[in-house]
Parts: sequence; structure tokens; C-alpha cells
Amino acid sequence: MKRNKKIFLVFGGLAIISLFFIQFHKWSVHHVNYITAVDDHPLNCMSCHLYIQKDGIAAKLINEDYLSPYNLSLAPDGKKLYVIAQDANALLIVDTKTNKVIDKIEVGEKPHSVVIKNDGETAFVSNQWADNLYEIDLTSLKVIDTLKTGSGPAEIIFSPDEKFLYVVDSYSSEVSIFNLQTKTEIKRLMAGNNPVAAVFSPDGSQAIVTSRRTLPIPYGTPPMTELTVIDAASQRVKERKIFENAYLMENAAFTPSGDLAISTLIRPKNLIPSVQVERGWMMTHGIGIIESGNEGRMIQLLTDEPNSYYSDPFDIVISPDGQKAFISHSGVDIITVIDLNEIRALLAESTQEKLDYYSNHLGISARYVIKRIPTGANPKGLVLSPDGKYLYVAERLEDKIAVINTETLETINSIDLNGPSRITVARQGRRLFNNSGHTFQNQYGCYTCHPDSHEDGLVYNMAGADMGRNLANTQTLRDIGDIPPYKWNGKNSSIYKQDGMRFSTILTRTESFNYDDLDALVAYIVTGIKNPPNLRYNPTGELTAAQKRGKKVFYRTHTNCGKEIPVENQCATCHPPPYFTNMQMADVGTLSDTDDPMLFDAPQLNNIYESAPYLHDGSAATLEELWTKFNDDDEHGVANDMLKDQLNDLVEYLKSIRDAKYYKDDVEEYKADINQEN
Amino acid sequence: MKNNNRFFQKNIKVLSLILLSVFLSGFSISKQDKSFQNDLEDNQAKPVEISSRVSPETGSDIKDEAQQMPVYGNWETFTVKDGLPADKAYCVRIDGDRVLVGTSAGLAVYENETWKTYTAEDGLAHNGVLSIDVSELTGDVWLGTLGGLTRWSAGRFETFTQFNSGLANDVIYTVICDGKDVWVATGGGAGSYDTYTREWGIYTERNAPMHEPWTYGVCAGGGKIFIAAWGGGVIEYTKETKQFRDYVDPDGEMEIDLFPDDGVIHDITTGVTFADDILWVATYFGLSRYDGTRWKGYLDHDSGLVSNFINFLKADGPVVWLCTDLGLSSFNGETWVTYRKNENNKKGKIIITEGENTKEISSTTSISHEFVIGVDTQDDVVWIATSKGVSRGEILKDLTAGL
Repeated sequence: MKRNKKIFLVFGGLAIISLFFIQFHKWSVHHVNYITAVDDHPLNCMSCHLYIQKDGIAAKLINEDYLSPYNLSLAPDGKKLYVIAQDANALLIVDTKTNKVIDKIEVGEKPHSVVIKNDGETAFVSNQWADNLYEIDLTSLKVIDTLKTGSGPAEIIFSPDEKFLYVVDSYSSEVSIFNLQTKTEIKRLMAGNNPVAAVFSPDGSQAIVTSRRTLPIPYGTPPMTELTVIDAASQRVKERKIFENAYLMENAAFTPSGDLAISTLIRPKNLIPSVQVERGWMMTHGIGIIESGNEGRMIQLLTDEPNSYYSDPFDIVISPDGQKAFISHSGVDIITVIDLNEIRALLAESTQEKLDYYSNHLGISARYVIKRIPTGANPKGLVLSPDGKYLYVAERLEDKIAVINTETLETINSIDLNGPSRITVARQGRRLFNNSGHTFQNQYGCYTCHPDSHEDGLVYNMAGADMGRNLANTQTLRDIGDIPPYKWNGKNSSIYKQDGMRFSTILTRTESFNYDDLDALVAYIVTGIKNPPNLRYNPTGELTAAQKRGKKVFYRTHTNCGKEIPVENQCATCHPPPYFTNMQMADVGTLSDTDDPMLFDAPQLNNIYESAPYLHDGSAATLEELWTKFNDDDEHGVANDMLKDQLNDLVEYLKSIRDAKYYKDDVEEYKADINQEN
Repeated sequence: MKNNNRFFQKNIKVLSLILLSVFLSGFSISKQDKSFQNDLEDNQAKPVEISSRVSPETGSDIKDEAQQMPVYGNWETFTVKDGLPADKAYCVRIDGDRVLVGTSAGLAVYENETWKTYTAEDGLAHNGVLSIDVSELTGDVWLGTLGGLTRWSAGRFETFTQFNSGLANDVIYTVICDGKDVWVATGGGAGSYDTYTREWGIYTERNAPMHEPWTYGVCAGGGKIFIAAWGGGVIEYTKETKQFRDYVDPDGEMEIDLFPDDGVIHDITTGVTFADDILWVATYFGLSRYDGTRWKGYLDHDSGLVSNFINFLKADGPVVWLCTDLGLSSFNGETWVTYRKNENNKKGKIIITEGENTKEISSTTSISHEFVIGVDTQDDVVWIATSKGVSRGEILKDLTAGL
């Protein structure tokens, strides 16, 4: 009897466990299918629940601290290479004879560029996420001074006499000019939108500054991106060259004679339906040229080829003899070598009309592209040795520097910067994010429309069921892991779904990511993309007087007349902290004639100041316009009773909103307020 | 009246000295080469150089070292016929080698003896350009229009309105650059824009001692911002403390200046300008001068001011220029020089006033119209905007005003 009981208990237990397992398996399949939006994704808990850990021991164990070399500079004698290790917040010094890292200097958060004085004894490093420059004594390897800049300092250049330092403030779209004798900022000049790079002309008479985002343009018009020309003598902007139908002008260089100034650029066709991808012409990549003669004629030429694109051109350098240009294509891991004499001949023989035609011509590159040199993952900054014999390439997602012989055009060395040897899942995801290999003919990668994992400020026609309808303003990818759904219409309940089959159907027009790659991409997007600190509007967390007043407006429950505002029309209802989104769909009265009837996902407001234009179709150029132009009936919050200074205060508060991690207390306060009201 | 007598008795010695110096100056001018008087119709004026003396008009608060008062002439006029987009010109600003004129039909730029016009089609907020200033730091041109604020920077127009930005109101009467900050006087309050932080400020009766939000003028100087507030006198904003205070007419009378020199001459102010530590305030009822301690008023019947109806004013060092409905006056604290148009012909009039003495000179050229709205000077040149054309005058060499 006792034996039978034991058998019964054992089998009964097994049956219960089996039943539980079957139910758990069923639930797991349903859960995975829901999250991934497919029914054949492997059941692997680790892929989600381990690799998307942001904090804690598990996150530390599975991730690595990479270096991510970004921009480079050489000592005047070429004996030392200075490497910005962007993710390590460090400046690495490489001995170019031994190709070994010999020193490491800690710098500020998210360093961008380094520049070395002619005596080789002093360096300046821009810390893009700290809004300052470090002055470094290269003898003692110490940071000896800190200079406060505008927001998001990127490239730094010396005036030819080294008396002034020009700093490109990428987030505040300015150029700060410092007097190096007094170490004071003497002025800021308005640059293009999101400027990043600058270079002086060989004669020192002018500097040009490239920018990445289009200038504010009327709704529905192609991008217009500015290249700013600064007169060195007056230290004023003397001209603003507008490159039409182009953006993401990441870097620029002058030929030694100064006859040409050349910038990298991308020509997006964002206003045509994305079906154009499979016809091979959605995103083209190339260079913008300004001639010193011909009244400063502006030309755009592609570096792509028919059926093969060389996406995301980043840096450009020109050989000392002015014969060759080298361009890093960070989306396809290629260095393109251009014969500048062929370019000169093409310009000399062509009318402006002909050149305009060439700006969309995929075949013309055969005339001047002389070599494609493969590199490691995500080539970014370039620098030539003083004699022009060697080209150094920062392979950002490889943690290496490639050395290319500029005569043979072969890679002759690879400098290991001693980053982690293991490639983590998130790192693999970052490589995928920055690579165009998954898009039809390599036309673009995630980075292209999401530079710095943010957004490119353009509105796209995604070619849904009805062509030309439902235009979509590109959304940021920063810190979006915890705020589903995705897309403006909220159709994607997870990032898996967003980047899975639908992604390939609508966007990449190729095979979708395999599941390992998809896991990696999701892991990177969830864990690896952070908001920059909002140093511009909220550097310390202490709100200004206007921001404090604006916060009261944001959380107000009554109009100026004392009338109670319906809960659904209060700002904080749809935009509660910490992400300032309730992750719900809503109609805020902004449907346009080209939109199908639909609700929109309430967007998060963290760092909203850097996401213009606004609304699902980008029709609001500024935050103010959300209420002055698109809220006639108070559907997007009750606001029409506000005075102008109240609206200003509200906007100031919105601009102050920073990363979600700062609003945990606000959540409790908000919940307490809600509970109290209920 | 008793006060005036006491003042006269007290300063009789000083006045004697002045009369002596005028006599000596007149003697010296008679020996000068007359070739400089190329715009004067005859030699009737016998202009002289003012010597150093104490002003009988204002007492010792005027600088003891009197400044030489230049006289302008050789007026050249520009209208639609010459390339201006409209005859009605609201403002003028000299910017290096070019001159910027705000008209009712756009911004006109005079460079290399050619006019070029920019309108709303080019990116201007509105064709009615009421005010212009140029940032000394960046060279950017800021344009206050009837439909918003425009920054014109190296060819790029960027427009701020009450709809797309924190601008207080789209009707902008005055815009000025003060370092990195831009200040505007608008129909909906004064406003500030920090070009570094991009923060807008709005100053109205809700947060400043104003009577109502309508503001006409704004200027900067001495670490302060001064706002000409309609019906509210002058609002002073101290940049360091961020505190406001107001200056209103203490007598409170709107029809007359009941107690002279008791404060700003009238609460309805139309403009302010600051130079050499002196604040000048324009009203439609006369001119006020404030040295930080005392106010002094000037009216058309007790000074050389040609009209109490002052549209605009601008100080350049010791000289203040007054744009009125009856011509252009200038004043250096002692001597008034007024430029008018002869009613009967195209010739001009130069009226020089010192104290009680007035002299009128006829000139062969004249300002384009007596309703003067804007003025700017640089080096030896003055430009004025009038309701019918723009005029350019130049200093008559070696000639300074005197009697």
C-alpha cells in the first residue's frame, strides 16, 4: 500500500510538473510570438531577458567596456597618433613606429575630437557630452585647463596663427571662438543645423563648417543643408552655402591649393515613397564640392555605383599633393579613393546644368573612383601622415586603427587599441545598426536615418497601402526600450516587431534579419542608446524661474479662469513622468488631409528640445507651434486660455526635460497627486 | 521766474565769458577759407566753432568741456525713382560699407551705389521693416517688422514670430543687440532673446512696472536696459540684479509739463537712447535728458528742438539726433542744429540755436522730407529715413555750429 502510494505520488508529481511545463511552454510560445510578431522565433529566454539587461550584475557580466575610436589626430612630426576613444572617455596615444598604445589620458564624457598645436606640446579635446574642452599638456599628459563651450562641442580647429580656437557646438548649432591668450570665448556664430566639422582654407582666409541636419524648411520640401563660411579676418559668417537635397555633411577638407572644398554628404529622397528602395535610388551618397573659382560653384557628385551603394560617408582627407581624396564609408566598411584630377576635369568640361544632372547619376563615379579599400567595422575618422604616405582609419566598432599605404592603396597594418576581444551581443547589434548590409544594395543602415541613434529631422513617405499617405516624422531611438508601442500609429508592440519582418518589407526591402541578428539589434537598441545629458537647458536639475513656472502649467488642473481641465486634456495625463508618455494612443486633432483616420502613440518628451520638427508628420516646426498652430480646439491639451508668457514658460519647462532616470521622484509625486484627486 | 532770475544773477560771470568767446570765435571764423561752405547758399551764417564754456541753458550738469557740433549738408535723396522699394522709410542703419533701410515695402540695402531690396518672399517676416540693428559680435542683422523678428545672417533669413517662438508680439517697433542678447520693443510688451540659451523673456505689466504692454523703444547702456513704455514712461532693467524700476512724469499731467525738469517729460514715450552715460528719452511732447541723477526737459519753445513730436532719437557720443515731424534736430548739450526743408523750394534750412540765440542758414540741398522717422550716423555721414525718401548728408568740412 505504501509502495503504491509512493508510486502515485511520484507519477502524480511528474504529471503536475509536466502539466505546468506544458502550460509554461504554451505561454512562452505565445509570449515570444507576441513579442517577436512571428511564430518561429526560437524559444530562448536569454535572448531577451539577459541581453537587454541595462543594469546590475548580469548586465556587467554580459557586456564589455569598448573603446570605440572615433576621430584621430597626428603629432606634427607624425610620430604619435592621438585617438579619441569615444566610449572609454579617453585619449589614447599611439606610437606610430611601434603601432602600440603608449599612453591613455582620461578626458570628459563622450569626447569627439582632438587637435594638436604645431609645437606638438598641447592638445585640445572636445567633450561633446560635457560641453567643454580639455586643454592637455602632452609632456606631462595632464589636463591643465577646462574651457566651457556651447552645447555639444564637436570638431575643434586652430586659426592659422593659433591665436584662436574655433569650436563647433553641434547641439546648439553654433561656432564658439576662443581667444587662446585669455582662454575666453569671445563670440558664438550661428552655424547650420547640427554642425559637426570645420576646416580652415589653406590660405587661412576662411573656415568652412559642415552641418548634418537640414535647415528648418517648409513642410513637404526637400532638405537644405548649410555649409557655413566664416571669414577669418572679421571672425564673422560671410556666406552660407546651401546644399539642396542633401544632408548629413559629416566632414570636409580643402585641397592643398584651395581650388576645391569637399564635404561628404547624403542625398535622401525622403519625399518619394519608399518603394523606390528596390529601384535603387532611395538614399544616395557622395560629396559636395565648392570651387574657389567659377564664383564658388557648388556641385554634388555621387560615390555610389549602379546596384551598389556606399552608405554613410563620414570623413574625408586629401593627399598633400592634392591628387587623391579618401572617404570613409562607415555603413559599408569601405574607404573610397577618388582621383581629384578626374573631378577637376569633369568640373572643367561641364556646365552647371550638366553637373546638376550628374548629382543623381550613379554611373559617373566610375570616372573618378579609383579604389575601394575594405576596413574593419564602422570606419570613422581619418588622418594622413604628414608626408601623405599613410592613411590612418579609426575602425570604431573594431577598436582598431587600420593603416593604409596611400601609394599601393592596400591596408598594411592594423593597430590594436587593446579593447575587449569578445564581441558581445549588444556590440554585434551596434555593428548591425551602423551597417547597411541588410538593406537592398546597401543603400542605408539604421544609422542613416537615425544618426547618433537619434533621428535625422526628416519626414518620410513609408509607402504603405496608399501611396503618398501617412507621412512619418522620424523618431528618436534613444532610451526607447521601456516605452512600447512603436511607430507613430503604435502598430508595433515591441522592438522585435518593429525591426523584424515588417522592417524588411517596408524599409530594407531584403531578407529580414536572422533571429540572432535581430536579438543583437534589439539588445543594442534597448541597452546601448542613451540620451545625452541635457546640459543646454537643464545642466544641474535646478530649474530656472521660467521652467518652474512652466512646470506648474504642465501639471495644472484648472484654466486661468478657474475652470477645471478635463483629465484627458491635462498635459500630464498623456505625458506622465518618467518618460512623459503614458504609452497610449490618442487623437490630438492633428490628422492632416494625407492621414488615414488613426490614433497616435503619445511620444516621450525626454530631451524633446532636440527633436524638431514635431508631430507625427513633422508639421510643427517648433514646440510653440504645437499650440499656436495645431491646437485650435484644445485637443492637444487645454492651452488656448494661456497668455503668451505662460506658453513660453511651458516651452521652457518642456525643453528642460532630460533623461527618464531623473524623474523617479516625480513619478511618486505624480501618482500621489493622482491618488489624492481620485 | 524767480528761480530763473537767481540763476541768471549767479551765472552772470559765466555768461559774460560765453559772450566773449562767441565774439572771439566769430572773429576767427571770418578769417577762414570759405571753400568748405559748398552747401551753404551764401555766407550769411558766419558759423563759428564753439569754445569751451559752461552751458547757460542747462547749468553745470552739462559737461564743462563743450563738444564741437558738426553741421551736415550736401544732402542726397533717394526715393523709388532711385531704386528704393517704397518712399516711406521707417529706419536706417549704417553697417560698414552698406546702408540698410527699412521701408514699407521691404528691406533696402545700399551698397556700391546700388539699391537691392529684400522682401517677405526672400524670407523677411514682413515687408514693413520698422527697426534694424546689427550685432557687433556676429555681424548678424536683426530686423523688427510689422510681422515678426527676422535675423539676417550672411544671406540667411530666420524669422521669429509670436507663433513659432517666444516672441512677445509680432509688431516690433525697435530691436537692439546687446552682446549676445537681442531686445525688442513690441506691441505686446518688451522682449529679450538670449542667442546662447535661446530663452525668450516677455516683460509686460504682469511682471514689470508698466502701465500697459505697448512698448515703443528699447536701448542698452551702463549695464541697464531702458524701455520706452507707452503710458509708462521709461522702464529701467538692471541686468545684474534683474530688477525693474520705472521713471514716470511726476507731475502726472498729460497735457502740459507742469513742473519742468522734475522727471521724464511725459509718460507716453516713443524712444530711448543711451550714450556717454546720458539717457535721452523721446516723447510726442518733448525731449528728456537723464544723467543718472537729474532730469532735464527740452521743448520746442524753450530750446532749439524743432518739434515736440519726436518719432525717434539716437545718441552718438555727445550728440543726440531727434527725428521729428518738422525736421531733424541734433543737440550736443549746448548747441542745437536743425535741418528742415524750405517750404517754398527744394532748398534746405539749417537752424542753429544756442540758448536764446538762433541763426538760420539756407542751404542748396535739403533733407527729403520733414517727417523724419529714422537716423543713423557713422564717421562724417548721416542717413535719415523719412516718410518720403531717404537722405544722406555729410559733414561740411571744417564747419562747426556756432553763433
